[in-house]
Amino acid sequence: MSALDHPHIEASLEQFLKRVRPRLKVLFARYRIPPQDTEDILQQALLALVYQRQVIRDPEAWLLGTLRNKCLLYWRERRRKLYDAVDATVLELMAEPTPPAQESADLRRDLLNAIERLPERCRALLSLRYRHDYDPPELAERLGYSPASISKITNRCISALTRYLTGVGIPRK
Amino acid sequence: MAEDHPTREALEGFMLGNLPTSQMREVSSHLLRGCPACQQATAELWEPDEEEDAIDIPRLSANDVTGEDFEEYDAVLDRVFDQVATTEAMASRERVLGRELFDELMRHPAARQHLLVSNSVRFRNRMLCERLLEESHEAGFNDVARSLDLARLAVSVAGQLGVEQVCGAAEQLNGVHARAWAQLGNASRVNGDFAAAENAFAKAEAALGDPAGAGLLDRARVLDLIASLRRAQRRFAEASHLLDRVSAIYQKLGQWNLLGHTLRQKAMVCSNAGDSEAEMTLLRRALDLIDPQEEPRSFLAARHNLIYALNASGRSREAFALLFHTRPLYLKMGDRMNLLRLRWLEGLVAQGLQRIEQAEAAFREVRDAFVEMQLDYDAALASLDLAGVYILQGRVQEVRRLAEETMVIFQSRSIHREAMTALLIFCSAARQEQAEIGLVQEVSGFLKRARNNPDLRFSPPFS
Repeated sequence: MSALDHPHIEASLEQFLKRVRPRLKVLFARYRIPPQDTEDILQQALLALVYQRQVIRDPEAWLLGTLRNKCLLYWRERRRKLYDAVDATVLELMAEPTPPAQESADLRRDLLNAIERLPERCRALLSLRYRHDYDPPELAERLGYSPASISKITNRCISALTRYLTGVGIPRK
Repeated sequence: MAEDHPTREALEGFMLGNLPTSQMREVSSHLLRGCPACQQATAELWEPDEEEDAIDIPRLSANDVTGEDFEEYDAVLDRVFDQVATTEAMASRERVLGRELFDELMRHPAARQHLLVSNSVRFRNRMLCERLLEESHEAGFNDVARSLDLARLAVSVAGQLGVEQVCGAAEQLNGVHARAWAQLGNASRVNGDFAAAENAFAKAEAALGDPAGAGLLDRARVLDLIASLRRAQRRFAEASHLLDRVSAIYQKLGQWNLLGHTLRQKAMVCSNAGDSEAEMTLLRRALDLIDPQEEPRSFLAARHNLIYALNASGRSREAFALLFHTRPLYLKMGDRMNLLRLRWLEGLVAQGLQRIEQAEAAFREVRDAFVEMQLDYDAALASLDLAGVYILQGRVQEVRRLAEETMVIFQSRSIHREAMTALLIFCSAARQEQAEIGLVQEVSGFLKRARNNPDLRFSPPFS
C-alpha cells in the first residue's frame, strides 16, 4: 500500500476547518491582513493541504506555519510597492531641472534632513543616489559593495527612509 | 492645513501599495514634509515585524473567538471553506484515477509509457505524477533503473500539467515540477551519475525560483534531496547548510517527524565528515522526534546508526545495551534485509567487545547471505569485516582464501572500477600474507564512501 492511500486527515476536513477557524481569524488579524486579501492566501494554503496531506503529519501546525509565511510574503510584496513609490517620488523631486519653488526647496530640505537621520551607510548611499544621480553599478563601485549585493543594500536603505517617513522608526539592524 | 492631509483610505492604500502611481507620489510627498498626524496614522498600519516570526497564535476554541473583533473574516472563511470542500472531493477522485492510470501505464513497455504520457490527455493527472514520484522514491532502495524510469515519467507528466490540473494554482504547479526534477536528480545520484543529477536539480531549483513561488514543503523536500547529492559528492559543508535550511522550514511548519528525518540526514553528513560526536547528538535528537509507532522503519534506521556510531567510537558497551533494547524492533520489521543488518551489527559490536568468535560467526553468516542474494557490494563489505577478524587472530591463510573467493565472485559481477581496484589491492596484500587490519579498514571505509560515488579514487595507505 502506498502512502497516498493513507491520508492522515481523511474524512475530517470539515471538522478540521471548524477547529482551526478561530485560530485562522486571530492569525489574519494579528498579521493585519485586510479581509479582501485573505481569500487568496487562505485558498492557496488549503489547496496545498488537500493535495499534500499524505506527507503532513500535523495539519494544524502546517497550516498555521504556511499561513504565517504567506502573510509575511504578502507584506513583503506590499512593502516593495511602497518602497518603489517612495523611491520614485524622491528621484522625481530631486531631478527637477528648473530652480525649485519655495515648496520644492522645502521638500528637498526635509528629505535631506530625513536622510541625515538614517544609519551612516544609508546616508552615503542615498545621498549619492538622490543628490548625485548615481546608478547602482556606480554606487557599488564608489561605496565598495559587490555589484550583486548593491540592489539589496539600496532596498534596505530605501526601506529605512520609508520607515522613517511613515513614523514607524528606523530599524536598528 | 487639515485639507492637505491624505484621507485615511488614501493612507491605507498607500501602505498597501494599492494606489495609482500619481496618488502614491502625492502621499509620499506629504509624508516627506514630516506631517506628525499622518506619520502616526501610517505607523499604525505597519505589519508585525518580520523578526517576530514566531508571533503566537493562541489555541482558541470557537467560543473564544466569536466576538465582533474578527467577524470581518467570517464571510471570506465561509467562502473558502466551501470551495475547499469541493476541491477535497475532486482530489479524492483524482487520487483514485491517478492510481488507475499508474497501473495502466505500468502494463505498457517503457517506450510506449513515454509516448502515452506525452500524447494522451488522459495522463495529464497530478495524482499520477505524485504516484510516480512516490514509486520512484521507493524503487531507489532496491532497483535504481526502475527508479530512474519512473522519475523520467514523472517529469514528463509534470511537464504536461497546466494550472488547470492544479486548481489554477501556479505555486502548486511549480512545486510539482520542482519535486519531479528533484526526484530525477535523486535517482541519478543513486545511480552514480552526478552530472545528470546536477542538471536535474538545476531544473528543480529553477522551478522553485519561479516568480509565482512554491510551497515551503515542496522547497524543503527538494533541498533535502540536493543535500543528499552534496553529501555523496563529499561537499559536507554545503550539505549541512542545506539541511539546516530544511530543518528551519520543518520547524516553521511544526512538522516534527520530518525534522527528525532531517536531523538523521544531517547526522549522516557528520558521520561522513568524521564528526562522530555531532552525529550521535543529532541522532539522539532525531530519535526524540521520530514516532516509533508511526514510522518504525525510520526510527529503527536512526537507532541502528546510533548503535553503529557508538560502537565505532569505542563505546561498545553502550552500543551493546542499546542493541539489546532495539533487537525487538528489528525482529518486528521481520524482513530479511533488516535481520541481516541486525546480525551484521551484532558482529561489529561483538568485535568491539573482543568477542571474536561471536563476531566471526555473525560476519560469515551475513556474508554468505549477501553472496546468495547477489548483493555484491554488501558481501564485499562483510567479507572485509570477516577478514579483519581473521587478521586479529593471525589466520593469514584464511584471509588469503577469503580474498580469493571474494575476487572470484566480484570479477563476474558489476562492481564499479574504483571499488574493484580497492578490493584488488586488498587481495594482492592477502596473497602475499601482508594484509593488515589498517588496510582492511581503509578499503572497507573507501567502499562505504564510494558506494554511490564511482568518481572517488582509492589511495591505499602507506605501509
